[in-house]
Amino acid sequence: MHRDIGFFFIGTSLIYGLSGIALNHLSDWNPNYSVEVQEFNTSLNLKKSPVIEKNILELMDEINYKGEYKKHYYPDKSTIKIFLDGGSSVLVNLDRGYGKAEFLKKRPVFYSVNYLHYNPNDWWMWFSDIFAGALILFAITSLFMVRGKKGIAGRGGVYAALGIIIPILFLLLH
Amino acid sequence: MKKLLFILTAAIMFAGCSGQQKKDATAEEKNQKEESTPKIELANFNEKAGNYVDEIVAVNGIVDHVCKHGGKKLLLVSDEADLHVTSDERFSDDLMGSEVEVEGIVRELRIDEAYCIKMEEDNIASHKTGETDESLYERKQRQIEQYRDSMKTANVDHLSFYSLEYVAHNTIK
Repeated sequence: MHRDIGFFFIGTSLIYGLSGIALNHLSDWNPNYSVEVQEFNTSLNLKKSPVIEKNILELMDEINYKGEYKKHYYPDKSTIKIFLDGGSSVLVNLDRGYGKAEFLKKRPVFYSVNYLHYNPNDWWMWFSDIFAGALILFAITSLFMVRGKKGIAGRGGVYAALGIIIPILFLLLH
Repeated sequence: MKKLLFILTAAIMFAGCSGQQKKDATAEEKNQKEESTPKIELANFNEKAGNYVDEIVAVNGIVDHVCKHGGKKLLLVSDEADLHVTSDERFSDDLMGSEVEVEGIVRELRIDEAYCIKMEEDNIASHKTGETDESLYERKQRQIEQYRDSMKTANVDHLSFYSLEYVAHNTIK
């Protein structure tokens, strides 16, 4: 059982292992997207007008953006925010013509594993509960898998004790 | 091994069927509710939300961003206002920048003097135990003072902040 279920959950273990590392370092990087920032100046009129969408498309040409324009709005009187496809966006100061574009690109593997790690729906919640149950099962069955000096009564027991002591020490000392 | 494979196949089939049932029920429910759901302009949401607390309303806006910590919150914006929408399930990042009509339950966060006292006590306690640093402690204290000042200025005994608990959405092309 330990072996067969272990094979079955190899993929899930990789998903949680990779996303665990990625999400542990949220303050150091964006684990879902790589972000490219481009600063620019423009003389285009981006204030509210009947031709605003035409002017936005001209701006996209100016900053050499080949993707799709989605929507825009004015967070305040002197700023326009333009949304592009894929989560990218452009902010332009209407008074000074200074703008900043943030182009997002999904990180191929990390985006998907992080998506699953955050429990996207009920179906995945139940599946990951089963995975968590399997981990408990692995821990218990591993106690009886190897007998003798290398088993729980010998070296294995020392490793098991260390693995329990480290989190307890952390809780006591933190 | 055969038993294990059988159980897994059955579980996947069951999950597939139950998922489909939920999807169909949601679509049917949506059709029934569509006509009766009151629509509120995002610009007037804070003004009108008090009349619809714990009721379903529909609000149009552009999705400014989806919370990167878990993706279960999004910010709906327009030129005049913004609104937080929360959900039990994760929002797709692809919604960012799309214009959507969100149906959701209006929720009220009511802040009065009792709330401020409790918030102050919790803030002091967590600062004493070292759970919060000096800057966070100061920030929370300032926030509490702002609540009190706002109540005093408006001559009211409480402030209401409204949000929307997600039920469904349509993307507007």
